[in-house]
Amino acid sequence: MSRLFGGVPIHGLAMLAVCAFILVVAPYFISDYVLSVLIIVLYFAYVGQAWNLMIGFAGQLSLGHALFVGVGAYTSAALFIHFGIGPWVGVFAAVAASVLIGSVVGYLGFRFSIRGVYFALLTIAFAEFTNIIVDHIRWLGGTEGFFLPVSNRETIDLLNLRGSQVMFYYVILALTGAALVLCRLLLNSKLGLYWQAIREDQESAEAIGVHLFRYKMIAVAISSGLSGIAGVWYAFYYNNLFPETTFSTGKSIELILGTVVGGVGTLFGPILGAFILTPLGELLTHLTEEFKLDGIKQFFWGLCVAGIVLFRPAGLWPWISGLLGLDQRRDGGGKP
Amino acid sequence: MSRNLHKRPARAGSRISRRTFTAGVGAVGLLAGTAPFNILRAQGGALKVGVLLPRSGVQAGIGQDCQRGVEIAPGIFKDLGLPNLTIMNGDTESNPQIARAQAEKLINEGAQLLVGAFDSGQTTTIAQVAEQKGIPFVINIAAAPPITEQGYKFVFRNFPTAPTILGDAFANQKEVFESGGSAPKSVAFLHVNDTFGTAMQKGIDAVMPKFNMPYKIADTISYDPKARDLSVEVAKAKATGAEALLVVSRLNDAILLTRELVKQRWSPMAVLSMGPGWYEDQYLKTLGKLSDGPLSFVPWYDPNKKLSKQLEAALKKAHPDVNLNTNHIYTFEALLVAADAFKRAGSADPRALADAIRKTNITENVSTGPGIQFNEKGQNDKLKNSAIQNRDGKLVTVAPKAASNAKAEWPMKPYDKRG
Repeated sequence: MSRLFGGVPIHGLAMLAVCAFILVVAPYFISDYVLSVLIIVLYFAYVGQAWNLMIGFAGQLSLGHALFVGVGAYTSAALFIHFGIGPWVGVFAAVAASVLIGSVVGYLGFRFSIRGVYFALLTIAFAEFTNIIVDHIRWLGGTEGFFLPVSNRETIDLLNLRGSQVMFYYVILALTGAALVLCRLLLNSKLGLYWQAIREDQESAEAIGVHLFRYKMIAVAISSGLSGIAGVWYAFYYNNLFPETTFSTGKSIELILGTVVGGVGTLFGPILGAFILTPLGELLTHLTEEFKLDGIKQFFWGLCVAGIVLFRPAGLWPWISGLLGLDQRRDGGGKP
Repeated sequence: MSRNLHKRPARAGSRISRRTFTAGVGAVGLLAGTAPFNILRAQGGALKVGVLLPRSGVQAGIGQDCQRGVEIAPGIFKDLGLPNLTIMNGDTESNPQIARAQAEKLINEGAQLLVGAFDSGQTTTIAQVAEQKGIPFVINIAAAPPITEQGYKFVFRNFPTAPTILGDAFANQKEVFESGGSAPKSVAFLHVNDTFGTAMQKGIDAVMPKFNMPYKIADTISYDPKARDLSVEVAKAKATGAEALLVVSRLNDAILLTRELVKQRWSPMAVLSMGPGWYEDQYLKTLGKLSDGPLSFVPWYDPNKKLSKQLEAALKKAHPDVNLNTNHIYTFEALLVAADAFKRAGSADPRALADAIRKTNITENVSTGPGIQFNEKGQNDKLKNSAIQNRDGKLVTVAPKAASNAKAEWPMKPYDKRG
C-alpha cells in the first residue's frame, strides 16, 4: 500500500476517492448518451495509459499502437466467432498475440538500435502491413469486416461480455482503474526507475549497468499486452472490426492524443487528457450543430488541441497538479 | 444533465424512472413533470427522425450528398399525402465510435426512428444502439451482408448487399452486350488497392465464374488511390491487348485514367465500372465530352417510375447542377419508409412503427425493382441494380430493360472522334 499511496498528499487521496466514487455511481444519474461518451473517455484513458507506459515511462515512441489493440481485438473475436471461446479465456490469447507482435517490433527496433522517430516509423510500418494482411484473410472477414453476433440483451452476460452498455462501462472503468494501479506500482518499482533512466539518458543508463534491451523489451511487452486487453473490450463492445479502421495510423494517433494533451510521462495525464478531449469533441459537435456548420468541429477541435500543446507543452496534468498542490516528484519523474 | 432527462423518448421512461428513484425524490418530480409531455408529443406531433450521416471526416462529401435526399423529401411527402417528419441531424464524423454516441444522443433527445449511415462500420454500431433501445433504424446505404443477419427486430435495410450488387452487375453487363450485338473477349481489370477496391476485386473474382461471362480478365492491375500518375498502369493494360476496361475506382483516379486513355490514344470498346467515380458529377464536369461513354453498374433508380420523375424535378429545383444519384435515392427512400410506416401505424410508438415497417409494401418508389418490402431479416431482397451510361453530361439508364430509358451507346465512341 505504501508503494501505491506513499507520498500522495491526503487531499490528493481524497480527490481521487471522490472521482472514483463519482465514476462508480455515474451510470445511475446520467443519460445513456452521456454514458456512451464516458465509455469512450475511459477507453481512451485506458489505452492512453498503455501507450504512456512505453513512451512516457520508458521513452520508446510508438505511433502504431492501434496494431496491438487491433491484434487483441481480432484474436479474441476470431476465437469467439470460430470456436465459441469467450472473452475471458480469449483475453489470454489476445494478450499473448499482442505481446508476441510487440516483442517482434521491439526486438527488431532494439536489437538493431533503431531509435526515436525511426522506431516510431517501424511501429507504423507493422501496423500498416498488418492492416494489409488482415485485408486478405477471409477467415477474419477481410475487407468486408468481421462481425461478432449481436443480440438484444436486457440481461447482463458477463461471461460472454454480452449485455447492456452499463456492463461495458463498469468493465472499462475497472480496466482503467487497474491500469492506473499497475502504472503506479511499476513507476515506483526498480523497473520503473530503470525505464525512467533509459528515457532520460540511454547512454548514461547503460553506463551504470541498466540492461537496455531487456528493460525496453519489458516495456513494449507490458504496453502491448495492456493494449491487447483493450482490443478485447473494443471487439465485444462495438461488435465489428474493419482492418482499415482498426489498424490505421489515424486510429493510433486518436489513441495517443489524450495522453499528449494530458501529459506524457505522468500518471494521470492519459486520464485527464481523455476526460478533456472527448467531451470537448462532443461539446464542439453540439455547437456546430447549433450553428449548422458541419465539419467545422474538426477545425476548432484542432485549434483547441494546438492551443493546449502550444501553451502547456508538458501537458495539462503537471500544470493542474501544481495548482492542486499535489506532489509532482512522485508522479512520472517529476515533470513540471 | 436534467436537460438530457427532459429529452429522453417516452419508451425509455421506465429506465429513467428506476435511475431517478435512486437519484432522489427531486429528480423523480422533475421526470414526472416532463415525461407526460414527451409522450403527448410523441403520439400527436410529427415523427422525429434522427438522420445519422458522415457529415464531416473522410466521408463528408458523401454524407452531405445524402443530405440532399433529406432536404428534398418534405415537399414530395406532402404531395404524396404522407405525414410530416421532424428531422434531427447527427454527424457520425465518419467514425463508428462517434456514430454510436450520436445515435445515443439523438435517441436521448427524442428521436423515434433512426436513418443512416452510409458506411457499414458506422451502421453496425448504430444498429446495436437502435436494437437495444427498441428504436426502428432504417438503413439508407450499407452493403455488408452481416448487418441484417444478426436477428435484429428493429433494423431494416433498403439497400442491396454486396453480393447482390456484384451479381446484378454481371447480369446487366450481359444484357448490355446482348443489346449492343457484341461483347469484349478480354478485359484489363484496373482497381484501387484500398479497402473498397480490394473487397471488390475479391468479390469479382468469386462471383464472375458463376455468370459465364463472354470475356476473360487479361490482367489485374492495382494502384494506389492517391496516385498522381497512372500512365504506367494504363500502358500495362493497353499492352495486354484487352478490348475493354473493367474498373473499380474512386473519383480522382477515374479522371486520371480517362486522361491517360486519351493521351495514350487508346479507346477501348467499353469502360465497365463496378464502383463510384465514373458517373459522378465532378467527373462529368471535369472531363466534358471525354466523360461520355463509360458504363457504371450501381444501385440506382428506375427513371420511368412516377416518383423518380418527381424526385428528379425536386432535386433539379433545389440543386440545378446535381444529377440524381444513389446517395439521394436511398436516403430519400429510407425517409419514405419512415413516413409510410408512421402513417400506417398512426403512432410514433417504436414497436408500432417497427411492426408497420415490417409490413411495408411500397410499389410507387424510386429505386430499381418491384418496390420496397422487407423480408423476415429486415432486408429488402427484391432490389435490383442498374447499368447507367454517361451521355452529354447526363446519366441514362440502359439496363435492366424494364427500368431503362435509353439504349446503350455501344461500343463506346472513340476519344479522338468526339470533336
